[in-house]
Amino acid sequence: MPQRCRYLPGIAVWITAALWLWAGFAEAQTAPDATELARRIDRHIEAAWQAAGVKPADLADDAEFLRRIYLDLAGRIPTVSEVRQFFDDPDPDKRRRVVDRLLASPGYVNHFANVFRSAWLPELDNAAELAFTAQGFDAWIRSRLAENTPYDRLVRELLTVSANSRRPPVAVPPNRMEATPIAFFTSKEAKPENLAAATARMFLGIRLECAQCHNHPTAQWKQEQFWSYAAFFAGLQTSGPVGELRELPGRRELVIPNTQLLVGPVFLDGRQPEENGRASTRQLLADWITARDNPFFAKATVNRFWEQFFGIGLVDPVDDMEPDNPPSHPELLGELATAFAASGFDLKFLIRAIVLSQTYQRSSVQTDTSQDDPRLFARMALKGLTPEQIVDSLFVAVGAQAEREPQNVITARFGDRNELLARFRGSSARRIETQTSILQALALMNGRFISEATDLEKSRTLAAVVDAPFLDNREKVETLFLAALSRKPTAEESKRFVEYVQSGGASGDSAKALADVFWVLLNSGEFLLNH
Amino acid sequence: MAGLLNRRDWLRMQAAGLIGFSVSGWFERLAAATADDPQRRRSCILLWMSGGPSQLDTWDLKPGHANGGPFKPIDTSVTGIQISEHLPKLAQQMKHLAIVRSMNTREADHGRATYLMRTGVMPTGPIQYPPLGSIVAKEKERPEDEIPGFVSIAPFRQLSPTAFQPGFLGPRYAPLIVGESSMLLGNGQGQPADLDKALKVQDLDLAPGVVPEQAARRIELLDEMEGRFLKQRPGVSSLSHRTAYEQAVRMMRSQAVKAFDVEEEPSSLRDAYGRNLFGQGCLLARRLVERGVPFVEVTLGGVAEMPVLGWDTHQNNFPSVQRLCEVLDPAFSTLISDLRDRGLLDTTLLIWMGEFGRTPRINNAQGRDHFANAWSVVLGGGGIRGGQVVGKTSPDGMEVTERPVTVHDLFATICLALGIDYNKKNMSNVGRPVKIVEKNPQPITEILV
Repeated sequence: MPQRCRYLPGIAVWITAALWLWAGFAEAQTAPDATELARRIDRHIEAAWQAAGVKPADLADDAEFLRRIYLDLAGRIPTVSEVRQFFDDPDPDKRRRVVDRLLASPGYVNHFANVFRSAWLPELDNAAELAFTAQGFDAWIRSRLAENTPYDRLVRELLTVSANSRRPPVAVPPNRMEATPIAFFTSKEAKPENLAAATARMFLGIRLECAQCHNHPTAQWKQEQFWSYAAFFAGLQTSGPVGELRELPGRRELVIPNTQLLVGPVFLDGRQPEENGRASTRQLLADWITARDNPFFAKATVNRFWEQFFGIGLVDPVDDMEPDNPPSHPELLGELATAFAASGFDLKFLIRAIVLSQTYQRSSVQTDTSQDDPRLFARMALKGLTPEQIVDSLFVAVGAQAEREPQNVITARFGDRNELLARFRGSSARRIETQTSILQALALMNGRFISEATDLEKSRTLAAVVDAPFLDNREKVETLFLAALSRKPTAEESKRFVEYVQSGGASGDSAKALADVFWVLLNSGEFLLNH
Repeated sequence: MAGLLNRRDWLRMQAAGLIGFSVSGWFERLAAATADDPQRRRSCILLWMSGGPSQLDTWDLKPGHANGGPFKPIDTSVTGIQISEHLPKLAQQMKHLAIVRSMNTREADHGRATYLMRTGVMPTGPIQYPPLGSIVAKEKERPEDEIPGFVSIAPFRQLSPTAFQPGFLGPRYAPLIVGESSMLLGNGQGQPADLDKALKVQDLDLAPGVVPEQAARRIELLDEMEGRFLKQRPGVSSLSHRTAYEQAVRMMRSQAVKAFDVEEEPSSLRDAYGRNLFGQGCLLARRLVERGVPFVEVTLGGVAEMPVLGWDTHQNNFPSVQRLCEVLDPAFSTLISDLRDRGLLDTTLLIWMGEFGRTPRINNAQGRDHFANAWSVVLGGGGIRGGQVVGKTSPDGMEVTERPVTVHDLFATICLALGIDYNKKNMSNVGRPVKIVEKNPQPITEILV
């Protein structure tokens, strides 16, 4: 025994190395290739251009790409130094590298936590009392995004979260909050009809609720189908939107309101779940929804992610995937769905494939009127920013980094983040048609945040620029452009703004004139729209 | 896109105006001179009952039938017309109102019905139809207007966000929103101080330390620098950004925004409207109409203890409706008398409606559910011959038995009352001209003056 023991460490090393090699080989064999899928995206999109006689826009330059990818993956604009580094990087593969870096950054988790929360808990926007329950949801979605949990598992966890879990009786600090998606159920008051409507919209891309009250002559879904689907949630109860979630495990049927009709759970494809003893109806539903061969799930998901990056879905609107509302590129949608399912519902794989495509990397500058139809994706559409993107980008521009500094520090300097967020909570149907309201314009022109952001003492960026002894006025203006717009000024802009600063602007004071320049940049459409 | 050409010149002009911050004063004079001016343009106030109010417990009672519920009908100032006992003050204003009891609209989903009743069209296909407010704002606009032609007070947009956007008419006709419910939640909706603040346009004053000359230079620079960006990227988002800034600058410069200072009104009048968001919102609507704003809507979606979807009475219909009527009755009736006292009633069309009515059958939770087969809308004021009832429902309230009215009929009637040609076509976002009201409507001519 002792003799053999001597060899063991060596053998262990050898085995480890072999395993590692094998694992690497296996991964290379099976890991889905995002670049290849990106190429397939371009091929489908280009085929449609040819058919429609479209001349596509140019590819985005580094500045346009960098700003877009930061907003889309990290939910904020890049800092001045991040912009400079990227511009100076000669590596032809630098776009891919920045994508990889951002997908691994805390910004990715922040941003997509916001994306999922507003998609899955839209009730939060108009019910302040729900904010508390949302903390648990936030903790949950963040940890899953950080681990890149496969999307089917994410949805499964959400649908099957155990009810009857005791909630802490008093508010606990967010970092001690139990991570649970239970707020999804409580925010919908645990009503089967609300949950049916929400899950069908979100996970299947179907607006089932039109059938809630009665049959529409032309609609695909019938009232009985709606309530049979809702019956999967028949056992749930809650005492109110902030109450506990309870479940009567045996209950699997419900009565269609205002009728005598008792219905049990039936999947939307008409099949009835098999009675298999212990599994709850929600588990059965989760199995069906997230199955590889579910006809809706993968398509609905890739369509939502497409919308996330292009501002408009391949099926538009994203939750109306019906035969009478066909996708703009049916083959592409099918191919994306298949690849996404084959990747094991890997969100980062899907995102990589989309953002590495040339289609995503088109400029938003129009060069030909044939680019006008947004459903042909011949130029990148202008997308409205979410409230969080606006606020976090403002923080970055003024020199406070939202994702690195504790919230209360920024709040102390710039006032209530929630107040600012509330101003930008407008509901828009399509993000490519986001509308600026008069009140938003007024808030940005005269409101407290911008006034402090352009205050020589409170704004870190501005103070640094004004006081920098080694920068001349041209460089100062350039730095403000990089901070706010992630690009250098054009020669014409540089000349105009430098003259303004040198003349001291309206007040005859070049420091104040620099504040004016910063104000102008932060109020511009270029700052406030993702382009 | 028309108007974009001289936008730049216009903004410069505005910027120049900002330097002097001059007070032209013509707007206030206009407000004072209102009543006798035969050229006074017509305005419209829409009282929007978000959530779908019960017709059976307000305007079309069914006493003696099981569907009727506990509320009793009372006589009104017009012989033969009875309404709910919980609308006693409105009963006294009946001669100014025409009740349409025979709405038949078929759509009973909140979101789709909200879109339908606000735009006159079902939400299908790619065309983005404008809501009534945007239509009226466009038809009645004058170049000298300083406040947007469509003001929406205390809206609850979540049921159908697009029904609160200007659709193919473009951002110029987007509503100016004040008193939105999400901004009031959690901070004491009933408090008068908050109410006054909530009903004002926020951030109209320059930031502290910024002088008018500086603000003017900033705006001038902004206009210059973003012109290229927006021009290279034509579309709704860029146009909307431009328009919002343009309108915001115009309002910053305007004296007309004093209209939003409801605290200028006598305390007794404010009490009469009711010291709540809807009551003070109706008072604000009068002040705006008085200053020539063509379309103002005030949403009543709830009361302090149930701020949204109050009318959506699937449970406990009766106490909820009673509570909402306690807010509605004084506000609506005072609005009528106040407009009349100021000589504005003849030129101001009043509309009371929600997205649908409620089921006649009372459900097991003492509630009423969504119902679009047979329900009521009320019109009054300018252009309407009041003291009338149009249409009739069956004794159980389930069917319209006389003069069914579609959404197209209603919209055509509204247009006629406002002097708008409803056959006029506007260019839609898909490049096809669309009539203001489609489908050959039959307007309710019997209630038109």
